[in-house]
Amino acid sequence: MNAHDQDRVQHLLKQALPPVASESEPELDLWPAVLRRLDAHPAARSRFKWVWFDCALLAGLALVSAAFPASIPLLLYYL
Amino acid sequence: MITHPYLRAYLAGIFVPTLVLPLLLAGFIIVRLVLAQPVPIERFIIFPMAVVPSLFGLWNMLYLWSHARTHLPIGVHGAILPFLGAPIGAFVASCLGILQIGAHGITWFHACEIPYPLFALVFLAAVAGYYLVWKYIVGYLNRVLGIA
Repeated sequence: MNAHDQDRVQHLLKQALPPVASESEPELDLWPAVLRRLDAHPAARSRFKWVWFDCALLAGLALVSAAFPASIPLLLYYL
Repeated sequence: MITHPYLRAYLAGIFVPTLVLPLLLAGFIIVRLVLAQPVPIERFIIFPMAVVPSLFGLWNMLYLWSHARTHLPIGVHGAILPFLGAPIGAFVASCLGILQIGAHGITWFHACEIPYPLFALVFLAAVAGYYLVWKYIVGYLNRVLGIA
C-alpha cells in the first residue's frame, strides 16, 4: 500500500464515520445503571435459588415431623 | 452501636431457645397435668433450659469471631451445631435416664422408641431446622443488632 492508497483509505474512513465532538458527553450517565444491573441480577437469581432450597428444607422438616410424630419431642429437645 | 459486639452476639444467639423453652414447658405441663401422662419433665427440661441457650449464644459468638476468616454463611455455621449438640444432649439425657441406647434404636421416656435409620433421618431434619433458624432468625437478629 503506497502513500496515495493510505490517503485514499483515510479519506474514505473519514467520510464513512461521523465526526466525534471532543467535548461531547452522553446525555445520561449510564454507569449507575450498569452497576445496578451487575449487582441486582446475579443476586436476584441466587436469592431465588436459595429460597427454593430453603422451602424444600422446610418441607422436608415438616414431612419428617408429620410422618414420624415421635421425632417431635426429639427435635424440640434440641431447641 | 460499636461496643460489646460479643455480648450482642450472645443475646442474639440465645433468642430462639429462650423463646421456644416456655412453649415446650407449657406443652409438657399440659401433657403431664391435663392428660395425666407421667412425663419426667424435671429431667427432660435440664438440657433445653441450661445447655441449649448457652450453646446457641456461644456458637453465635464463635460465628462473630470466625466469620472474618472463614466467610462461612450463618446458616451453614448454624447447621454445624447439631453435630456438637446432639452428642452432648444424648449424653445428658442418657445420664438422666430419659434416653436408653439399645441395639436397634434409642428409647425416649421408656416408651418412645426410634430406630437408628429413623434417628438418622431425624438428625438430618434437625440439621435442616438449625440451618433455617440460624439463617433467618439469628441472622436477622445479628443484622438488627449491628453485628452481621
